[in-house]
Amino acid sequence: MIQDFLSSWPLFHDIYLTGWLAAAALSLIGVPVVARSQIFAGAALSEASTLGIALAMWASALLGASAPAWMESDAFLSAVAVLLSVGASLLASGRAGPGRERREAMTAWIFLLGAAGSILIVSRSPHGLDEVQRLLSSSIIGATAADAWIFGGLFAAAAAALLLGRNTVLLWMVDPPMAAAAGVPVRALEFGFSVLLGLAVGLAIRASGMLYTFGALVLPALAARTVAREIRTMLVLTPTLALGCAVAGFVIANHLDFPPSQLTITLLCAAVPAGAVAARMRHRSPA
Amino acid sequence: MTPARPSTPGAHAPGLRALDARADQPLLEASGVSLGYAERTVLSDVNFTIRQGEYWFFLGPNGAGKSTLLRSILGGIPARSGLIRRRPDIASPDRLGYVPQRCELNPTLPTTMREFVSLGLAGIRGAEPGRLAWALERANLRGMERRDYWSLSGGQRQRAMLARALIRRPALFIVDEPTTGLDPPSADLLMRSIDELHTAERLTTIFVTHDLPLAAKHATHVALFLEGTIHAGPADQVLVPPLLERAYGLPIELHLHHHTDERSAP
Repeated sequence: MIQDFLSSWPLFHDIYLTGWLAAAALSLIGVPVVARSQIFAGAALSEASTLGIALAMWASALLGASAPAWMESDAFLSAVAVLLSVGASLLASGRAGPGRERREAMTAWIFLLGAAGSILIVSRSPHGLDEVQRLLSSSIIGATAADAWIFGGLFAAAAAALLLGRNTVLLWMVDPPMAAAAGVPVRALEFGFSVLLGLAVGLAIRASGMLYTFGALVLPALAARTVAREIRTMLVLTPTLALGCAVAGFVIANHLDFPPSQLTITLLCAAVPAGAVAARMRHRSPA
Repeated sequence: MTPARPSTPGAHAPGLRALDARADQPLLEASGVSLGYAERTVLSDVNFTIRQGEYWFFLGPNGAGKSTLLRSILGGIPARSGLIRRRPDIASPDRLGYVPQRCELNPTLPTTMREFVSLGLAGIRGAEPGRLAWALERANLRGMERRDYWSLSGGQRQRAMLARALIRRPALFIVDEPTTGLDPPSADLLMRSIDELHTAERLTTIFVTHDLPLAAKHATHVALFLEGTIHAGPADQVLVPPLLERAYGLPIELHLHHHTDERSAP
């Protein structure tokens, strides 16, 4: 199986690296999402990004032959996806109004608008509908070396912020009122994180699709929190788990000729109850 | 005005603050302060002076403005008029210790006592080793560093919040209704921890509560919130039946356990 995988490396290494680095970056950024009980926001942002891509394709199709070349490029699709994702992230972060209920209502609104709007906009265009369906079902085929660099950079940026901020970022993440009282710039961190989250999801949608993006964002943190004893451990365990499942998923998928994104997400889904069982067994065993 | 107490033996232990020349200056002073939200004025003409080592209780019915004033002291709400002055050495938030009413931590997140209390070091660079052990000791939580936070009782969690505020080595300690929801033994243990901090460390404390007997037992000074302002001063001058009746609409008589001078004088 390993030999099969290694032989496919020269042809698909950009795709593999993009998938792995995207999983690592999204999972690390997903820790605050899970810690702050904003899991559904990940799905809403993915839908908003998909709507962005649909809008970009519609704009390009509207202009037809007179559309400039840059409007047909992947960079343009990604830019519009990122734009909508960042905007949605800022709205869903609660800056639109106080209270968890209002934030959840906003998240649901973004999700539904993204889901309905992205299909409606491209429903008359066979190519557009195919593209949106590809994004929803998650295919990582087509990722490039640039995508790998982007997710590597995002992972490095998120890890550096956590390392440099340490207690400050952790306190903001788990107890914002207390952080504000301690002089932590809560609003600035909130804004910065919303932008980072929107950027990561917006970029990941184009490269890996909605299922992979949403799954890699929340599942590793959900699994890690069942096993870890501390939030700091969770921060290390989460990207490790994401990377481990992504590598295993891609190797097995290559051997069995399964779609790698779906297999990786299935492995991550299995890691959540497996982690809970492991934690329960640890509690039962004598110290 | 309370004169400074001279340094005590052990004043170099991690949690102790040797008094300095500034100790005779007020730690916190509000003069003519008005606070509110949007069009609504919550408090006006607020005046008080808090000095080193005093034990203040903020008392008043719901909606009287206690939390608003607390938020303003913590820097969350600017005064509409007037001024809240902090002594220069506590101008930075790292010299304030705040224990909120409840912990916002997501109960599905894993954490230990050690990690939870260490989060209190947010924004403080180069904290010396030994702060964690000292804070746990002062909160009566010694030896529980590795305990799972979620396996603790309600009283222990409340004392963990106390330790999280103490690890900042605050000069001003603000505690917001910490005994709410605790059974009497847990509330008593928590109060003993706070009381010990005040007496042994001369830690200036602001305690927000609805518990009048608790205030009568512990307070050196009281700020009573009534009719859109506060009446502030030594406990024996504020916890008097006419003012209490105006604040709560009921005849209330309290027996003061401590005299102001006993608690705050050197």
